Amino acid sequence: MKYVAIIRQVPDGESKIKVEGGQVDLSGTTMILDQMDEYAVEEIIRLKEQHDGEAVVVAFGPERTEEAMRTALAMGADRGVLITAAGYVDPITQAAALAKVLAEEAPDVVFTGGQQADWDSQALGAATAEALGWPVITWTTAFELEDGKAKATHDLDEGAEVVRVELPAVFTAQQGLNEPRYPTLPGIMKAKKKEIKKIDAAELGVGGSKVEIVEQRIMELERKGKVIDGTKEPAAAAAELVKLLHEEAKVL
Amino acid sequence: MVLVVLDHDGSKLRKSALEGVTRGRKLAEVLGGDVVGLLIGPGADAVAEEAKDYVSKVYTVTGADFETYTAEKWAKAAQAAAAAAGAKAVVAPASRTGRSWTPRLAYKLDAALLEDTLDSWAEGDKVFATKYSFLNRVLEKQAAGLPAVISVKPNTTPLAEPAGAGTVEPLSVELGELERKVEVLEKIVESGGKVSLTEADVVVTGGRGMGSAEAFGMIEEFADLLGGAVGATRAVIDAGWRPYSEQIGQTGKTVQPTIYFALALSGAVQHQAGMNKSKVVVAVNKDPDAPIFKESDYGVVGDIHQVLPAMIEEVKKLKSA
Ligand SMILES: Cc1cc2nc3c(=O)[nH]c(=O)nc-3n(C[C@H](O)[C@H](O)[C@H](O)COP(=O)(O)OP(=O)(O)OC[C@H]3O[C@@H](n4cnc5c(N)ncnc54)[C@H](O)[C@@H]3O)c2cc1C
Ligand SMILES: Nc1ncnc2c1ncn2[C@@H]1O[C@H](COP(=O)(O)O)[C@@H](O)[C@H]1O
Repeated sequence: MKYVAIIRQVPDGESKIKVEGGQVDLSGTTMILDQMDEYAVEEIIRLKEQHDGEAVVVAFGPERTEEAMRTALAMGADRGVLITAAGYVDPITQAAALAKVLAEEAPDVVFTGGQQADWDSQALGAATAEALGWPVITWTTAFELEDGKAKATHDLDEGAEVVRVELPAVFTAQQGLNEPRYPTLPGIMKAKKKEIKKIDAAELGVGGSKVEIVEQRIMELERKGKVIDGTKEPAAAAAELVKLLHEEAKVL
Repeated sequence: MVLVVLDHDGSKLRKSALEGVTRGRKLAEVLGGDVVGLLIGPGADAVAEEAKDYVSKVYTVTGADFETYTAEKWAKAAQAAAAAAGAKAVVAPASRTGRSWTPRLAYKLDAALLEDTLDSWAEGDKVFATKYSFLNRVLEKQAAGLPAVISVKPNTTPLAEPAGAGTVEPLSVELGELERKVEVLEKIVESGGKVSLTEADVVVTGGRGMGSAEAFGMIEEFADLLGGAVGATRAVIDAGWRPYSEQIGQTGKTVQPTIYFALALSGAVQHQAGMNKSKVVVAVNKDPDAPIFKESDYGVVGDIHQVLPAMIEEVKKLKSA
């Protein structure tokens, strides 16, 4: 069997982001393998360990995405395919390109992160599934192969459900699916020699973007930061807090 | 024509449906044509009676095939309705399910997808939308051509008023092979709180520092007192103290209440992604260096087991005054 994880490289959530000329400027920002995609990578490595086969990472993004792909290879994936394109490309367009590569790879199971930490998008897994004519299960928290099909538990708006899915299919990962492993030193060394095949998006006949980012602005709200010491007299602190919320903030 | 996919609970429209109608009307003013609605699944026929007051026509898709949700089936139904209506734009709720079928629909229609939007409008034959990105830290304006599929972030848009009686038209949708590949084996129902988290004006969230599931009794009491909803951090869900449906953050729900109480939680970026747009944030934490204080308007440094009971007493006093 073959298992694919679609990954992305995103800014580390802990690092500051800045805007230059109305666009997010990522130069100097620490970039990482999207933490939600880590669950996807971990899952395909586990599948390979349990059932044999091949674990392949696939990505659509700028050249630098190779760094995140090396992280996935260091965790234990076998090889990578990177579709390169600069600038913002919307998930529907990305899906068309990814589907071409995936149709050729012909995996049984595809995983990707439930939500991207840069574009806050949840669309890539579902759009790629559509492009391939495969089903999608989003926010997967448990997964097992069973009689050539997959049995998965996934989150809904309220509650969850258990589904049985014919393969091939796409799954998006939710926190709790697994505990992603850290790359080991030998893993990092081995990853350097693993194959990453690069394909220009234009070669796949995919160009442009259906959506354009017109302008971006940092939206971190200014907070008042009024802190009351309640370590010695908690009741008095609580009274002062409630008074402030009532009289100053006027929210109670 | 603009098609609005109307979320419902089997007996009435959800608030998100009326937000969708408002967005649909705004788009139709520029794009031309009427606003039509689509109801899918059990109860759609009954809800259509309510829905027809908001749109010129309500399509309903029901039957055994649509008893349970899958992204494939819902996308197929929306595609059929969009074709029947000749829709240039489709509006849908950015609920978790909404966000799982709308990408499929956009791909089917070769349309642009504007996801989880705060606002949306048309100019000429282009659509625009605003949304948050980068873990809710950036506000961006997006532009796209037609057709477009737009999902509406809950609680961002005024609710539509009724506008006279429309018609109801059942639509029959044939499932193909793809739509039969997912079989729902079991539903795991979590008892939702009395107040919907994403719609609540007050959210009271407890973190790992609460110490136990029992300690959430205090959180519930405080939330009840304020007519608010209970939230939890991932650490709390992992500990099994609260159901996942109450999780706030990157991998849980995003809330934007008037007042957000962050109690005995540290304020990790992944948690902030779900609450950093709240109007007023109040933190209680025993650690004066907890990151949440930097993200708060008001805070108390102290032990939650001492401070929260006192807060409950003070609010009771305020209420009876
Ligand atoms: C990809 C990814 C996605 C994630 N998504 C989410 C998400 O959606 N939501 C989420 O919440 N987390 C998420 N996390 C986890 C997040 O990083 C944090 O681990 C989590 O939010 C911590 O929860 P906490 O603040 O309750 O616990 P802790 O970080 O352990 O904080 C507990 C706090 O309680 C305080 N405290 C302890 N005792 C008391 C007391 N008696 N009185 C007062 N204060 C006290 C402590 O000082 C401390 O600040 C995600 C992580 C990853 C990697
Ligand atoms: N999350 C994002 N949302 C919108 N635009 C982005 C995003 N990430 C990168 N960009 C823009 O895309 C262009 C190229 O980015 P990149 O090739 O990813 O370095 C730059 O103008 C970035 O500002």
